[in-house]
Amino acid sequence: MSEAESDSLQMLMAGLAHELNTPLGAIRSNRDVLQRVVSRISDILADEVVEESEIEQLRSLVEKIGDVVEIDRAAVDAIADIVIGVRTCWRPDASMRCVDLHDGLESTLLVLRHEFKNRLEVVRDFGELPHVECYPSQVNQVFINLLLNASQAIEGAGTITIRTFLEGDRVAVEISDTGSGIPPQDLGRIFEAGFTTRETRSGMGLGLHICREIVERQGGTIEVASTVGEGTTFTVWLPIKPKGPAADEDSRATDIRTAEDHPQHSG
Amino acid sequence: MSDEKNATILIVDDEEMVTSSLRSFLQLETPYRIQTFTSPVEALQWLDGEPIDVVIADFMMPRMDGITFLKEVREKRPEATRILLTGYADKENAIRAINEAGLYYYLEKPWDNDQLQVIIRNGVERATLFRQLDEKVSELESAHGDLAGIRNRLIKALI
Repeated sequence: MSEAESDSLQMLMAGLAHELNTPLGAIRSNRDVLQRVVSRISDILADEVVEESEIEQLRSLVEKIGDVVEIDRAAVDAIADIVIGVRTCWRPDASMRCVDLHDGLESTLLVLRHEFKNRLEVVRDFGELPHVECYPSQVNQVFINLLLNASQAIEGAGTITIRTFLEGDRVAVEISDTGSGIPPQDLGRIFEAGFTTRETRSGMGLGLHICREIVERQGGTIEVASTVGEGTTFTVWLPIKPKGPAADEDSRATDIRTAEDHPQHSG
Repeated sequence: MSDEKNATILIVDDEEMVTSSLRSFLQLETPYRIQTFTSPVEALQWLDGEPIDVVIADFMMPRMDGITFLKEVREKRPEATRILLTGYADKENAIRAINEAGLYYYLEKPWDNDQLQVIIRNGVERATLFRQLDEKVSELESAHGDLAGIRNRLIKALI
């Protein structure tokens, strides 16, 4: 794994840890509150005679339990969402599956929430898409990489627009940023193995050449258009159903790791 | 002058599960009035004209980060004790917060309720003392004015 790749992964993991920390903090505090409430209730019940004034107290303590359980429910749901997101993005693909690409995009956005949340607005311009037969985790990895690139191309606040549409027997996922753009002399080379624009854009996430490999192996293509100072648009085209025997022999999640075997390292 | 029992605690975090957990705990264990917001901008609007003793703010929030928020609070309510409660543990921001926002305490998530309670109690005491000091200073100022008046009258009467 190259330096840029491990940086991105590290950043992603730090973001996810932070996202998990928030519900964890709530659950921890609530467990403590529940212990306190239980010990107060036990105290009231200890002397066997429960007085009128204590009934009111018990009632409010029971109410408190209800409140806290409700917060915990939301916190547990938040953790479950993150787990689903991580699983959808990193679970090894055993085989091709028919999936809704919008679900995959939502999972990747969830995983990247921390990276985006205070800075970037995400606009979803989703069209009607049929289910697409692909390796879902790998495709999600491509989305993560493109979204991370988009995020890193934008300094300060900005917008990332995700547009999806159907054209004939293939679908397009277009990811546009309002970032710094890629200079024309670099544009033709960004999919080359080992090419990095790290000097001009702060870190390129995982290599774009791997993104292209993943997409092409599933019968798709990836395109880029960019204007310096205005932003960049990557378009991933995927066939609804790949023609012929798609490359399903060697394509487990190890595809991502083929970067290690590549003679030229980026970053 | 609000006494310590009627103190107001303002909690701002963009995650409602955090604000409501803190409220649940503080309502159980303290007599304070608890006000929570998920938007720092709304919290600042509310702050106008409200007495406030302790402010607890998250660091990473949309539109306005916790340090900027606490700086604004410092402008509006300099006597309020400012606490940053953050999951974003890094020293640089802590130091920046302490310097720029005149931070009283920097607390990391997940927090410990007992510790939080002690910090808030001390924060309330501190805010109350500040307010009392302000009142004493203005009492002294008005006494000083009275004395000057008496002195002037004396001078006129005697000379």
